[in-house]
Amino acid sequence: MRDPMNSSHDHGKRVGAALVVGGGIGGMQASLDFAAAGIKVYLAESGPCIGGVMSQLDKTFPTNDCAMCTMAPRLVEISRHKDIEIIPLADLAGIEGKAGDFTVTVRRRPRFVNDECTACGDCLKACPLGKLKPSDDPKKPQPIPDEYNMGLSFRPAIYIPYAQAVPNRAVVDPERCLYMKTGKCKLCVKACQAGAIDLDQKEAAVTLSVGAVVVAPGYKLIDPKVKPDYGYGTYKNVITALEFERLLSASGPHLGKVMRPSDKAEPKRIAFIQCVGSRDNERDYCSAVCCMYATKEALLAKEHLSPDLRCDIYFMDLRAFSKGFEEYYNRAKSHGVRYIRCRVPKLSEDPNTRNVRLKFVAEDETKREAEYDLVVLSAGLKPNPSSTALKEPLGLEFDQHGFCAAKPFSPVDSGREGIFVAGVFTEPKDIPETVIQASGSVARAMELLAPAKGELLAKKEYPPETDVRGAEPKVGVFICHCGTNIASVVAVKGVVAYAQSLPNVAHAENVLYACANDSQEKIKKTVMEKGLNRVIVAACTPRTHEPLFRNTIREAGLNPYLFEMANIRDQCSWVHMGEPALATRKAKDLVRMALAKARLLEPLQKKRVPIQKGVVVIGGGLAGMTASLTLGRQGFTVHLVERDPELGGMMRRSRYLLGGADPQKHLSDVIAAVKAEKNIAIHLSVKLEAVEGCVGNFKTRLSADGRPSAEIDHGAIIVATGAREHKPDEYLYGRNPSVLTQLELEERLSHDGLGKAKTVVMIQCVGSRDEKRPNCGRVCCASAVKNALKIKELSPETGVYVLFRDVRTYGFKEAFYTEARRKGVVFVRYDETRKPTVAEEGGRILVTVWEPISRAEVVLPADLVALSTPTVPHPENKDLAQMLKVPLDPNGFFLEAHMKLRPVDFATEGVFLCGAAHFPKTPDETIAQSLGAAARAATVLAKDAMELSANISHVINDGCDGCAYCVEPCPYKAVTLLEYMREGAIKKMVEVNESLCKGCGVCQATCPKKGIVVRGFRLEQIAAMVEAALTPAPLEPAPAPEPTEEEAKT
Amino acid sequence: MKTISDPTLLSEVRRYGRFDVDACYNCGSCAAVCDLAEDSALFPRKCMRYVQMGLREPLLRSLDPWLCYYCGDCAQTCPRQTEPGESMMTLRRWLTAQYDWTGISSRLYTSVAWQLGALAAAAALVAGLLQALVFHWDAPLTHVALNTFAPARAVHTFDLTVATLLTALLGTYVLRMFWLTVYRGGTAQVPLASFIEEAQILVLHGATQKQFLECAEPGRWFESRWIKHFLLVSGYAIMFALVVVFLEWFQTDTVHPFWHPQRLLGYYAAAVLVVFLSEALWGRIMKKEQMHKFTDLSDWAFPVLLWLTAVTGIIVHVSRIGGFPQATYAAYAVHLVVAITMLITVYPFGKWSHVVYRPLAMYFHAVKKNALRRQPQPVG
Repeated sequence: MRDPMNSSHDHGKRVGAALVVGGGIGGMQASLDFAAAGIKVYLAESGPCIGGVMSQLDKTFPTNDCAMCTMAPRLVEISRHKDIEIIPLADLAGIEGKAGDFTVTVRRRPRFVNDECTACGDCLKACPLGKLKPSDDPKKPQPIPDEYNMGLSFRPAIYIPYAQAVPNRAVVDPERCLYMKTGKCKLCVKACQAGAIDLDQKEAAVTLSVGAVVVAPGYKLIDPKVKPDYGYGTYKNVITALEFERLLSASGPHLGKVMRPSDKAEPKRIAFIQCVGSRDNERDYCSAVCCMYATKEALLAKEHLSPDLRCDIYFMDLRAFSKGFEEYYNRAKSHGVRYIRCRVPKLSEDPNTRNVRLKFVAEDETKREAEYDLVVLSAGLKPNPSSTALKEPLGLEFDQHGFCAAKPFSPVDSGREGIFVAGVFTEPKDIPETVIQASGSVARAMELLAPAKGELLAKKEYPPETDVRGAEPKVGVFICHCGTNIASVVAVKGVVAYAQSLPNVAHAENVLYACANDSQEKIKKTVMEKGLNRVIVAACTPRTHEPLFRNTIREAGLNPYLFEMANIRDQCSWVHMGEPALATRKAKDLVRMALAKARLLEPLQKKRVPIQKGVVVIGGGLAGMTASLTLGRQGFTVHLVERDPELGGMMRRSRYLLGGADPQKHLSDVIAAVKAEKNIAIHLSVKLEAVEGCVGNFKTRLSADGRPSAEIDHGAIIVATGAREHKPDEYLYGRNPSVLTQLELEERLSHDGLGKAKTVVMIQCVGSRDEKRPNCGRVCCASAVKNALKIKELSPETGVYVLFRDVRTYGFKEAFYTEARRKGVVFVRYDETRKPTVAEEGGRILVTVWEPISRAEVVLPADLVALSTPTVPHPENKDLAQMLKVPLDPNGFFLEAHMKLRPVDFATEGVFLCGAAHFPKTPDETIAQSLGAAARAATVLAKDAMELSANISHVINDGCDGCAYCVEPCPYKAVTLLEYMREGAIKKMVEVNESLCKGCGVCQATCPKKGIVVRGFRLEQIAAMVEAALTPAPLEPAPAPEPTEEEAKT
Repeated sequence: MKTISDPTLLSEVRRYGRFDVDACYNCGSCAAVCDLAEDSALFPRKCMRYVQMGLREPLLRSLDPWLCYYCGDCAQTCPRQTEPGESMMTLRRWLTAQYDWTGISSRLYTSVAWQLGALAAAAALVAGLLQALVFHWDAPLTHVALNTFAPARAVHTFDLTVATLLTALLGTYVLRMFWLTVYRGGTAQVPLASFIEEAQILVLHGATQKQFLECAEPGRWFESRWIKHFLLVSGYAIMFALVVVFLEWFQTDTVHPFWHPQRLLGYYAAAVLVVFLSEALWGRIMKKEQMHKFTDLSDWAFPVLLWLTAVTGIIVHVSRIGGFPQATYAAYAVHLVVAITMLITVYPFGKWSHVVYRPLAMYFHAVKKNALRRQPQPVG
């Protein structure tokens, strides 16, 4: 196996291409990162389209962001990416060669539909199997369950998996197609105008030459039939969480209307049953996501149906362990979601009403019965069955459950050189962890492939830009349904009709999903056919979707800045859900405003600035060193900045880990590797004085002992400043030497052993999950289990009690929790309203805890007390955040750009995040995230030049008299005052640093003389919008936009 | 009230049999699935937790183990396969030993040597006493004269003496059980009226063991564990009455006609004893049912001795009818030694005592609930 600590030094052949196996969100991230780093990507997916399970989700926790809305731009980006080739219906047949130069054979099952398909849907309507209805008669042919809707609806034998599917082409199900079975039918072939259907297509083998492979085949839910007592498959109103997710989804079987299967009635009482198929003796792991997805589904169900909907979640330990999760859980409780701590043993069905009944033990130790209209089984995660087919050809090792468990300290290495792993394939995990690992895999792969980057990339060709100057505006308006996100509130067709009535509107129409591939094609086609010179999309937010649409019109030959977006979802349908008539009127207003501006839009050009190839990594702990090492090995210059005199950070205090890995061994290996890496410059005992500039061109000044020590030009920044251990002031800590923090106990156990301690009591959640610090410490439960096991190893007869609120040993840590119990560690739950007390009495420590099952106040005489305190953010984060212009979350940790899909990026471009500075995490999680941050930074550094936004400030020579009102207010320090001689007199004028300017518009707002404007947000444009907002009358035909300063000069 | 945790409790309980709480994460499935568990008796989880937490006092006060009839639902449901039903069985043994203030039960349950030694010693003592006080080996060999070999009056006196002594001893255990579980362990002051009102429970359950029927079971009633147990108890009760109360009517040298009640009652009792005991023993050997998956030595003693008693009784009867005096006398001697040894070892100290403790526990439980109902309800 390739040692993750050592880079490969042989100089064999490196192929500048990579294979990504699995088209879920992990595979998608890996593909995009590879492509951005200069590697040609083959994305092999076993199904007919990419998107994975995330495409089936309605919303995502803990932000309730629409899953499809956040991933659709990526789907589109991949589908259009010139350097990503999607290979659907692919089975990996074999791999030969070695790391850097593999030859992969992929078998491609026939789609029976070729590239001519436009996804018009005519064939779907023609297929006779699409008309079948479910029947109780077993002799009659049954309709085909739609996989995307988890069998809650039916599909024809030729179908498009889902609306935004990529590739958006039909596919034939050969198992059910009548022609395949009987040799007769071919109705779809007749129906297809494009002649795209070929029912005689055969399987084909494809041979690919790649340098590395990333394997991310994803997961499936465990079939609840493994627990026959729940009656899944027999009781109609018992469904899985993914089925419920589809019921909630606007693109689901009932378009987002929640109905129960037996009678299509709206449920009034829903129960969620946790840990179905996981956390038992057969599958002793925690699926890590179910507590939060059940919480999300309960919240959404209440939103969809009624705030009074009864949602009861039956759980054992509520595992809200990650960023924002605890707060989300608290929010659900305040919305009336009830959490009942009992594992439900079985369900029964009322044969008349089809309601589902269960018995449980309530928290007050009473036995209750309850009846529900619908029961949702929170089924656990198991590796995608398709991944078993990867074992042989890739030569991977699987555990008894089929996971490809990673080795300690190499979370994304498969065990075979050149092959990397990501996502649930290695252990159950959520979307951000998967995305992190996907990026991390790319970083590891790029250590190998860096010499070959760029070699196999295609050139992107755009048609020449149409010159629109002086032409009468011909505006096209596309109004998006966003499934039902918009259309369920806003009368979209009415808005279309209204738009058609407005001046300069040459075309208006409604589209189901404007961001979907087919709609994009439609927009392009319309622009070209109707000669449009401005485009408006009234849909969601420009924050996520504007780049996509700009690219679309560019592909149609329009300058991308001739585009305007009206946000009729976030700012209209979502916030005015209860008032459809008014919302529709507001949507019209928003469209009219967009039109007012669109008519004044002018073509803009992006500037290109060269990129500095170096990176500054702030923090010399495990995170910073891991990121530095991989970037150094990829050939980038790294400046590793550490304020302490030595490297290692918090990990220096870690003595042992769950599972027996040696943290100090790894740490010394990494430190040695970092010191040996020629591309890494280490700056110890330094202070970060200032960071200026922006993505691609930062300038960082360091000082040592109060004197300037270095000035570094670099293109990207990685924040890896770590965090620190919280020191409590309760439970006699600091007053009794036998009361320690968990980390102090670890140090004591490894230095002095246990001593004479016969009883050790640990208290969890000391200083976390409370009002002051609402977040969960994430790693403290595992630390307690780790230390408890260590104590049992040193002295099996020593009694260990762990006083907890929820045991949050997610993922494979569950098995260690089980092991601790088997070794006699006693876990005692306490309630936050009834915390344990610690008192000193006669030289002994007495811990008193209310034990809720025996309902007794139990006194535990203890020799040692260990307090599990959380890892807390550095107070200095605030200053650093200000310096880097990045946000912190309410708990003081750095806040990433998007909790799900941009977990290591900041909203500020060129700045990336990893390690405990983001949130507490285990060493393996830190390593994965650091690799991920490095991969993302590499996507910036890989380019030679960077395109700047065109929407930035521009000084108008004749307007500016150098009053400099705008200089001070600029938050980005992008404006400076210039003095120069002209015609013998001193002239003053401001100048804008275009790399720094973010186009915020503060300068424009302060300027009294129209001397500085923001391109694309000129005062006239904004004024036109305001005017349109204030005069809800039909607009008069507007004049052509005035020529700008520059144009006037030329 | 605060209770100091006693970390030795778990290992102490484990000396009485299997008690697997290691994998348990207190999920509550066992108590939720149990058809007998209720608010005031949330077994098996609560008792298991007492042991895990070292809460000796609440465990001593608990009647819950006696209310469990070991259907095995909890074990089948337990996601961690901890066998809670078997833990309840172990707790019944532990409680039996706690009620027994002499400490003999504890010795018998926790030591194989003690158990086998006690059996041998009791058998030797009984044999010696019978030899000295009852048996007349000079009885005629020309015909069967059982009442000459072992005069019914002498046997009866012997029986009664032993039974009375042991019953008196068991009575003190019952008092201790009452003291622990009702007097000291009550959550409410129990008025006399509660004892009177609920008295029918004691009679009803003592006579019918109908609580068995509440245990969810698949199959029809005549295949249920209850009917088997009930028939076995009926046989045992008839036989017990015949030999302890009506021995002089039952043990005659005159052979009555077949349909004589003496013979019919005897046949019925002997038949159900042999059939159902054989079935139960076979079940334990084959480990077919959940409750038979784990068998302690103490689980064997009672059924094996009872089976031997029944079988030797049948041999006595057959020899007597067949006219084999020597065989009859020898078999009867063995029969008496086995029966009385059984009485001594399992009646107050062992498994037999559940005959008393189970209905009493049902009764005390009902009485405590009755008393709670009488308490004024807290306002608000």
